[in-house]
Amino acid sequence: MLDRESTFAQPEIVKLLKTKFIPVALDQAYQRRQKDAEGDYYRKIAGQGPRSNFNSTTQGFYIASGSGTLLLYNNNRNPERVLRLMKEKLAEFEKLPKTKAPAIDASRVDEKWNPKPPAGGLVVRVHAKVLDGYEPTTDRWKAIFQSAMSRDNLWISKSETAALARGEVPATLQQRIARYHLVDNTRGEPPMWNEKEVRSIDMQVKDGKITGTVHLETADGKRGYQADFFGVVELKANKVVRLDMVARGKFWGSGTYTGSPPPGKFPLAVSFTLADGSDVADKIPPQASRGWIRGYIR
Amino acid sequence: MLLSQRFWLVFTCLAMFQIGTMQQLFAEGLNEDDFRRLHKELQQSTDAPWKTIPWKIALLDARKTALAEDKPIFIWAMDGHPIGCT
Repeated sequence: MLDRESTFAQPEIVKLLKTKFIPVALDQAYQRRQKDAEGDYYRKIAGQGPRSNFNSTTQGFYIASGSGTLLLYNNNRNPERVLRLMKEKLAEFEKLPKTKAPAIDASRVDEKWNPKPPAGGLVVRVHAKVLDGYEPTTDRWKAIFQSAMSRDNLWISKSETAALARGEVPATLQQRIARYHLVDNTRGEPPMWNEKEVRSIDMQVKDGKITGTVHLETADGKRGYQADFFGVVELKANKVVRLDMVARGKFWGSGTYTGSPPPGKFPLAVSFTLADGSDVADKIPPQASRGWIRGYIR
Repeated sequence: MLLSQRFWLVFTCLAMFQIGTMQQLFAEGLNEDDFRRLHKELQQSTDAPWKTIPWKIALLDARKTALAEDKPIFIWAMDGHPIGCT
């Protein structure tokens, strides 16, 4: 989140990435665990740096040659420092001996860490934003968090899509939306909701309009969300061609990686939009499905 | 009007405005106008600098291109997908 608005907002870094590097973005929790060619290649690169214990995070910026020689590991987000290091490592790359890279059998794929969107189903973009309630700040980093909008994807199965086309919101879909997508992920990886924390959810479709309410709350009451839904479903030749929805309500509390929320109860909105595949992020599996696709969707 | 009276008048107006705004945001129900406004507001801008970078999301694909174009790979590796989660 911070990197998007700091490091990757720096014009010279953006230009270098577009012209002199091959940029790739990864959730390293996948690659460091994958028992396949991609996992092997990632561990070969990351293992040359300081974060070579693949049982814990290896997050950071890496620069490497295609043949797998690590030139840089850096986990400092200062754009000026990143830019200087990029230039230095680009010069080092130019001096590397030109050796032929070994062939890699890319067909060896670890299915557990490479889930595919459900055939015949839908991918929906999900964005969340805190609408108000933060204490004013002059701190550059806090300001980025306070204005941040998150991104995730909701996957809908073929049978659930067919139900939507009939004007129903199946219970499985309501639960998935509630547990994994009505979260405050604007400051980092959020805690999801367990089954018992879904106190109530009721969504209906009538005349192409989605309405409903939801109440999520932990047993100790320290984290919760009470919201209303409004949305639109449109069909063409009995296929869902539009699925736009918003949840808005009051959220309270935080998680291990989503600290410093606004005090008390604050307004949080979550939007849902049918993905059209034009954004590379449309291909990324839902955060809640990480290593657990059968728990996320069946 | 004394300065202190003016201060409290301005303070009270601002506080009422803030309470009013928060009450509006917490209002029961969500109508079609709210939905349209919020749905439009909660979309990522495609011209944000980080969105203009041609990010790949498959490392072996990046490797293949890097070898073909004789360029180094820049890996942005995070906990949670950096362009698709949080």
